[in-house]
Amino acid sequence: MRSTWIFYRKEMLDMSRSFKLIWIPIVFAILGITQPIISVFMPEILEMSGGVPPEMLSLYETPSSAMVMVQVLSQYSTMGVLILVLAGMNSVSGERHGGTAELIMVRPISSFSIMIAKWFAQCTQLLIAFGFGYIASFYYTYQMIGSLSWTSGLASFGLYGLWLILAMTITLLFSTILRGAGAAFVTLAILALLSLLNSLLPTWFTWSPARLSSLAAEVLIGNTLSVSSVIICCLITVGIIVVCLLSAARLLQKRVLPN
Amino acid sequence: MSLLQVTDLKKNFGKENAVRGLTFQLEQGKCVALLGPNGAGKTTTLRMLAGLLEPSSGEIIFDEQQGVTDYRKWLGYLPQNPTFYGWMSGQEYIRFAAGLSGMEQKEIGKRTEAVLSKVGLQDAAKRRISGYSGGMKQRLGFAQALIHEPKLLILDEPVSALDPIGRREVINLLREIRQETTVLFSTHVLHDAEEICDDILVMAKGRLVEQGSLSSLREKHRQPLVIVQVEREREALLWLDSLKSKPYVIQADIKADIAELTVHDLGSARDELMREATENRIPLVRFEAGSSSLEDMFVKVVSAQ
Repeated sequence: MRSTWIFYRKEMLDMSRSFKLIWIPIVFAILGITQPIISVFMPEILEMSGGVPPEMLSLYETPSSAMVMVQVLSQYSTMGVLILVLAGMNSVSGERHGGTAELIMVRPISSFSIMIAKWFAQCTQLLIAFGFGYIASFYYTYQMIGSLSWTSGLASFGLYGLWLILAMTITLLFSTILRGAGAAFVTLAILALLSLLNSLLPTWFTWSPARLSSLAAEVLIGNTLSVSSVIICCLITVGIIVVCLLSAARLLQKRVLPN
Repeated sequence: MSLLQVTDLKKNFGKENAVRGLTFQLEQGKCVALLGPNGAGKTTTLRMLAGLLEPSSGEIIFDEQQGVTDYRKWLGYLPQNPTFYGWMSGQEYIRFAAGLSGMEQKEIGKRTEAVLSKVGLQDAAKRRISGYSGGMKQRLGFAQALIHEPKLLILDEPVSALDPIGRREVINLLREIRQETTVLFSTHVLHDAEEICDDILVMAKGRLVEQGSLSSLREKHRQPLVIVQVEREREALLWLDSLKSKPYVIQADIKADIAELTVHDLGSARDELMREATENRIPLVRFEAGSSSLEDMFVKVVSAQ
């Protein structure tokens, strides 16, 4: 327990010294803020670029604040996930291949403690980044476009946050097996596959973790969700996270040293 | 009292047998060198002892009397090329390592300072490790291995990557450390082993080919050989030739002014020869009573494989 805490503090120190704790939230905030700004100023932007007939401009309607928040989430689904995966891909593989793991694992700390500490540190970073970005975009949308429901905002934050945590956990798992770039590639492929299956065959994949992102969007728009499908989705996602963490710990134990 | 007991330790990587059955024990308080040519399996063995590699078969028992199963708390380990977090300062790293080894907060502060000054890093303690030189990193490696006062210190090639000055420093440091704890270190530099060790284990091709204390090995592999060289004077050469028929000489190989004599007993043969040479006023040029060096022993046992 104590060694987990020590390791967690080391991870956080690493993140703050490498400025990850600053630049990732900033990128998330920029991603989040641009969406409402672009939505509001779209007519002006089009006018400035020229060549757009005025009739078309007059047809432009500023989307509702809920729609803008949905677009923010879709930004996070691509750029946000990419940044998180790239930032986390070397978390374990860097230590294994760089040799720092060798000096850690000869001390009385279990690989499970290490993985848990890393996971919590990544979670902290993720929640700071996503929280900061989400609050910023929520605030801007609220101010520039119109009111939003606090409760649905919070619910969608929770659902989408869980999806991001899953993405981060999968990165951590593959980071134990593969080198950084390989881990990032495999993780992104898996996430893309999950999302693709979810949008192609939504009725088949009601349980899929990728449903979390569409549930988060629906909450924002104001649709009522079936409680049971939310619970199933969340439980399955949490289950996958736990399995990923346990297998990552087991794999790290087996192969501290790169072959 | 034996601190570490290794029985029939084996490690295969796929079809390749890196370690093929080692059995030995380490006595408490000894300094033991693990010698062997490159590729003999030294690093693999040390990694298994440090718990970084799972043995394919065999048994490692640490401190039998106390029945310790997870003995990592009592182990200090320094790999061949230690890597640290470059963004930490030396002091932060040592505190981190101490914490992971389960030391108390109060103790950590005191020990960190003591250990860093012992390895001569007190002035660089607050600097980032990324700015350390190779020798400083090696010394930091020693500090992290010593911080928790381990019962056994395992060092993998602690001196081979260093320049002569760094090497000297590390040897002196080792000499101090061996007063306090049991040390097992691997090396292919025989001279280092000779300088600081009590006992020697020699590995070749994954097997233990020779083991024992430094002095007993010297004794065992000592060639009972005397080499005598004299001035090229008639009387001297005659005397040299007459050595053939002495009772203590088994075999004599005489080439002009040099005689190589294989003798029964080195001690008495030496006395006898010296006495005769003085009595007959023989002008000696060279007189060698053959204690073959550790290097000869090493070459002999390793190439016999």
